[in-house]
Amino acid sequence: MADSWFSLRRVETERGPLALVTLDNGEDYTKPTTLGRSALESLQRLLPQLEQAEWAALVLTGKPFVFSAGADIDQFFGISPQLARDGSRAGHELFGRIRALPYPTVAAINGACLGGGVELALHCDHRTISTGVRHFASPEVFLGLFPAWGATQLVPRLVGAETAVRFLVENPLRQNRMLDGRKAFELGLVDALFEPAEFLDESIRFALDSSRELPRSVELGDMQEVVARARSRVDDQVHGAARAPYVTLELIAGAARWSLEEGYRAEEEAIAELLPSPQAQASIYAFDLVERRAKKGVGIPDAEPRPVAKVGIVGAGLMASQIAALFLRRLEVPIVLRDVSEEIVERALQSIHDELAGQVATGRYDEGKARFLGSIVAGGTGYEGFEDCDLVLEAVVEEMGVKQQVFAELRAVAKPDAILATNTSSLSVAEIGADVGLHFFNPVALMPLVEIVRTADTDDIVLATAWDVCGKLRKRGVVVADAPGFVVNRVLTRMTRALMDALEHGNTSEEVDEAVLRLGMPMAPSVLLQVVGPRVANHVLETMHAAYPDRFPLSPALAAIAEGREPEPVEHEPRSVEEISERALEAMADEIRHLLEDGVVADAADVDTCLLLGAGFPFFLGGITRHLDESGISERIAGRRLADVRPTVPA
Amino acid sequence: MPRQLREVVFVDGVRTAFGRAGPKGVFWRTRADDMAVKVVRELLRRQPQLPPERIGDVLFAATAQVGDQGLTLGRDVALLAGIPETVPGVALDRMCAGALTAMTAGAGEIALGAADIVVAGGVEHMGHHPMGAEVDFNPRFVAERLVDPSAVTMGATAENLHDRFPHLTRENADRFAVRSHARAAAAWSNGVMRETVVPMSVFTEEGWRLADRDEFLRPDTTMEALATLKTPFRPGGRVTAGNSAGLTDGATACLLAAEETAAELGLPARMRLVSFAFAGVAPEVMGSGPIPATERALAQAGLAMDDIGLIELNEPFAVQVLTWCDGTGVDPDDERLNPYGGAIACGHPLAATGVRLAAQLAYGFRERPHVRYGLTALCIGMGMGAAVVWENLAHGG
Repeated sequence: MADSWFSLRRVETERGPLALVTLDNGEDYTKPTTLGRSALESLQRLLPQLEQAEWAALVLTGKPFVFSAGADIDQFFGISPQLARDGSRAGHELFGRIRALPYPTVAAINGACLGGGVELALHCDHRTISTGVRHFASPEVFLGLFPAWGATQLVPRLVGAETAVRFLVENPLRQNRMLDGRKAFELGLVDALFEPAEFLDESIRFALDSSRELPRSVELGDMQEVVARARSRVDDQVHGAARAPYVTLELIAGAARWSLEEGYRAEEEAIAELLPSPQAQASIYAFDLVERRAKKGVGIPDAEPRPVAKVGIVGAGLMASQIAALFLRRLEVPIVLRDVSEEIVERALQSIHDELAGQVATGRYDEGKARFLGSIVAGGTGYEGFEDCDLVLEAVVEEMGVKQQVFAELRAVAKPDAILATNTSSLSVAEIGADVGLHFFNPVALMPLVEIVRTADTDDIVLATAWDVCGKLRKRGVVVADAPGFVVNRVLTRMTRALMDALEHGNTSEEVDEAVLRLGMPMAPSVLLQVVGPRVANHVLETMHAAYPDRFPLSPALAAIAEGREPEPVEHEPRSVEEISERALEAMADEIRHLLEDGVVADAADVDTCLLLGAGFPFFLGGITRHLDESGISERIAGRRLADVRPTVPA
Repeated sequence: MPRQLREVVFVDGVRTAFGRAGPKGVFWRTRADDMAVKVVRELLRRQPQLPPERIGDVLFAATAQVGDQGLTLGRDVALLAGIPETVPGVALDRMCAGALTAMTAGAGEIALGAADIVVAGGVEHMGHHPMGAEVDFNPRFVAERLVDPSAVTMGATAENLHDRFPHLTRENADRFAVRSHARAAAAWSNGVMRETVVPMSVFTEEGWRLADRDEFLRPDTTMEALATLKTPFRPGGRVTAGNSAGLTDGATACLLAAEETAAELGLPARMRLVSFAFAGVAPEVMGSGPIPATERALAQAGLAMDDIGLIELNEPFAVQVLTWCDGTGVDPDDERLNPYGGAIACGHPLAATGVRLAAQLAYGFRERPHVRYGLTALCIGMGMGAAVVWENLAHGG
């Protein structure tokens, strides 16, 4: 990442010289500025000039479209407690000197302002923000950290306990929710809102008109009560497994009784402990995987993707209609659905029209657009309209014979260069007769992962097109080999099998749920099973059993649940909750070793990406393989770290 | 149905500072349309009594209508400036007379009743769009000798003027350049630039800075220094970087209104558009274009040169000013001519310049209530000239 620096320009005004400071890195807006070591050093070099001269005001801003993306997380990997403490203190010291400048200081937040960027801005007397800003947030808690350059102390003093808790703790935990400029203004985090067109000119004017006095002081008397309530909400969400939100709440609570200096020291001590901790390191690793590695397209050939101007969906069940709606909304191309039953097709079309109406109701579409999109979806029980599709996705029942028949029919009607894809969750894509697999996860609208299944015959253009389409659908594609269950279902089914084993040994469903929730998984297995559908889950187990009978024995308990019966123990040897957790992890370690040896994905990191994006594996555990490696389970079960497992057969 | 034409008044005009074109110029990393947006918003800010939805059209000129000047500028700029979407916009091109043509075309809309108020302006980012770079000249021009090959190089047309009028020497041209710089220097210390130039924060290699001063000012320019400069258009020629305007980035905009609308809304009516004319001459001596244009505009108004008390004439080349002076009988040292200096000292962003001339004339009118009529005029590439006669509404006040 390019180093960022602060530069100072003198602007003559009727009130005297104004210091105009810019944070820049010489790159365009796609490479945001960060507050890494070199940026802080450049600020340190600049400060004496700001402290000595008789400036009328300071305006601090960012390069076009970016105020600052905050600290450079590359510098967080493997950091020692001492370096973490020093890094926090350096920020407190430097930003504190900005806060102490004896003339009005204004942070002109012209673009994305995250983490340390927010804290830099908080140390100015005032903040202006552009209505064009869409990303204003302190996402540290999302990353398993907390903002340690003063935000836990300054935000409550600025806007009170309730908003501070929302901004610093709850928004990050809500899928890292961010504020736009207007919202930041409404919450009182910034003092003025200007249009983008003349944002900096107006911010300079604001600085020249503003006095040194700080506009408000906030009563923090309700602090303990607010934080206690927040803690109980956090409990409901992370079940005590993630530390960062609790640490942050403690620091916010401290703001009511500490001086700012005391608060800074508390942040320094807390970050020295938290940042080097396995949990925080795991989060940073996971964030890096999802935000960088997964966006690069590992294994995607450098071929020109084919344009996709019409999509066919075979099957009109729940999954298929969700996928059809996604293609319609994101690609905005004609969609044709086919199912054997007129009634199912009608229901699917109705659900798509309902979704469009919902988009109108929330203001995302105007009626004309919804009407148009509704008009380009068609469906029937035959293959009419499939002859000019560029991409056809099959999403019928998971039965090899049925799917093979679909592809035989599709080959006859589709144009020769159409890409024929299957959404199978575990069957062999090659045996089905598809060109490529596109495995979506339920619920389609929410789960970001698509496993792009490459067979021996998948050509580069098909693969590049699949990747391109996933990007347009705003999904993350991960290329996997055509092996039973691919990655997510293979690993989850192996885990499920271990959990079923506990039920079969007389454990209760509650104990099994607790075992999994304690790992930090977001959803209890009993709930997850209902989301996926127990019959589907059992069917996947049968598929896996057919491929790997030793590791995936059929499960009487799962079969019972699939048939709507209560599972009955096979023998009465209930295990402790700890033991259930441990066995689930061991089963996953073993299975991941096999799939890496089989070359299903190129790297253990890709397994982690799949489980983070496709199974909701929490960031604070990092990737599953990293967790298994760090906890020593890999070593015990697989004889080595999963990160070191290489394919034993050609991929 | 018989109808009456309406009188058109000039309300206000502003410009950005003018920057040096190219990577070292202050606007190098700023978009042309953003510069235009800046001046339009400044105009609206200065006239808070003007409801933006009352604007009938936004006319913007650029010579290079591509890239950041490419998207039907008037419409593009209006939307980017936050003017309501009900207000239309248009892009025009008459090279150096672009903004002046935006004013006359907008005035036509007002006079005919199609609009009550227009925004007229021009922008040229010559750094992003070097002259002629994106032009595909028809080979017939050369093959059929329709124009002299020198006609497409503005500096060469200026050399042609020296050829044609041998008494207009390099020394005369340099002397006029010194005068232009001296007057511009004085203008920056009185009110005219403070009133007509709007500072704009711009992003540069060294971070954000304020573009608030023209980058061509050289108040210490001397005859001796000018004499040492090279003549890039012709070995042994007379046209130098010192006696011509530099390649410039800049934007301008003004508000014109029907006289009655200005009264209704309380907009200051500062000058009345009396007459205007465009004229054609031989392309290779395009600098002589303002002479017939001036003659025609005066004739329409029933005025003579002696009636004109203030003149804002563009200065792409000193010799072009001298040629016009020769043709109209005005002494180059005449106090009426370019009292605040001209393009040699401030720069000439092609299509933007016309409004600068009008804005400075309006300022000059207010300073000189004894003056009743004034003139803005420019020469135009490919052999044209433009002239507008204005009446000082502060006259006698």
